Amino acid sequence: MKNFSNTYIFLYISILVIAVVSLLTFLTLGLKPRQEVNERADWAMQILRAAGYKQVAVNEAARIFDQQATALPTTDGSEAYSIRCADGSQGRVVRVDGKGLWGAIWGYVVVAEDGSTIKGVSFAHKSETPGLGANITDERFTSQFVGKQLRDMAGNFTSVRVLKKGKSPEVAEANRVDAISGATLTSQGVDEMLLKMNLEDK
Amino acid sequence: MDWKSYFGPLNRNNPILVQVLGVCSALAVTAQLKPAVVMALSVTVVCAFSNLIISLLRNTIPPRIRIIVQLLVVSTLVIAVDQFLQAFVYDISRMLSVFVGLIITNCIIMGRLEAFALSHNPIPSFVDGVMNGFGYGLVLVTVGVVRELLGSGTLWGHPIIPQAFYDAGYLNNGLMILPPMALILVGTLIWILNSKKDKAK
Repeated sequence: MKNFSNTYIFLYISILVIAVVSLLTFLTLGLKPRQEVNERADWAMQILRAAGYKQVAVNEAARIFDQQATALPTTDGSEAYSIRCADGSQGRVVRVDGKGLWGAIWGYVVVAEDGSTIKGVSFAHKSETPGLGANITDERFTSQFVGKQLRDMAGNFTSVRVLKKGKSPEVAEANRVDAISGATLTSQGVDEMLLKMNLEDK
Repeated sequence: MDWKSYFGPLNRNNPILVQVLGVCSALAVTAQLKPAVVMALSVTVVCAFSNLIISLLRNTIPPRIRIIVQLLVVSTLVIAVDQFLQAFVYDISRMLSVFVGLIITNCIIMGRLEAFALSHNPIPSFVDGVMNGFGYGLVLVTVGVVRELLGSGTLWGHPIIPQAFYDAGYLNNGLMILPPMALILVGTLIWILNSKKDKAK
């Protein structure tokens, strides 16, 4: 085996590191614009799904979003938009953030102009269990929210609770949806996340 | 060098089934076929090119710091692959999440660098990397097909099991989606391979 001097080793690794760092810098900078387009499209898709746009191509999403939605000011600086829903009515998009079983969960709720009726929701998660908690992104779960009420008869904010079927019968049918069986903690996370949503005038 | 031995990774020297390397990622990304295929391709690219680069550098690398140099090359390639996935197949890169980054610690790659690239010429090293990537991919795809078909009734995201089956009371096997089932499937594959090996003796 050849013997290498310390100077050689030091120079070798220095040159290698500098080469690698410059290579990666160019690569990241070069690909950044494309990645940002992808991230924005993904985010726009989420909001459009909540607003009832079902058949939107990914590369169209950002453009449609820009046409249909405008940002709204909020007191706490959270995201909110006014959006023209797929059925032509106006809605308010409210961003919600919470905790699932393994990591962050978040979503967008589209509320009709009466400030109570839900037009649609979409949820996303970082690392929930596939097939169980990850099903909060599923159409089968989110479609339950359509038409539910965020306020009770008297107009007080109650949120839409995510509850096990038959549990807490005092919560009216219009203010609740069924939790996902096998994903109790993720469902509770969605429940808590919706309870603290910022409706501005609740 | 016997050309037949290059095909070892696909059969009697499979990195997952025989050397039992890279099992962690094999369990994590095989719930569906699509991420499994992308993961297999990513590992193949990283394995082949790190083998090629290390083999080209092999006479200049001081043995005392060779692991550092190997890690540097592997992590550069993995970051590059991750950036490309984020730019071109964003939804799959989201599905693979941390497992792309974890290719750096995939023992198959370090193992091939140490066992092969450091002592062979560039072209055989490259071929060896490709074949080991394919050997890894072969298992991932097999497990991915079984898990997606039985767990979700789809392949590559398209429904395969006809609606009539569901109407007749057929249910998707939810257990297939969970990681332990991947372990059982990999175990079954090891069993099949070993029983074949015994017969060959």
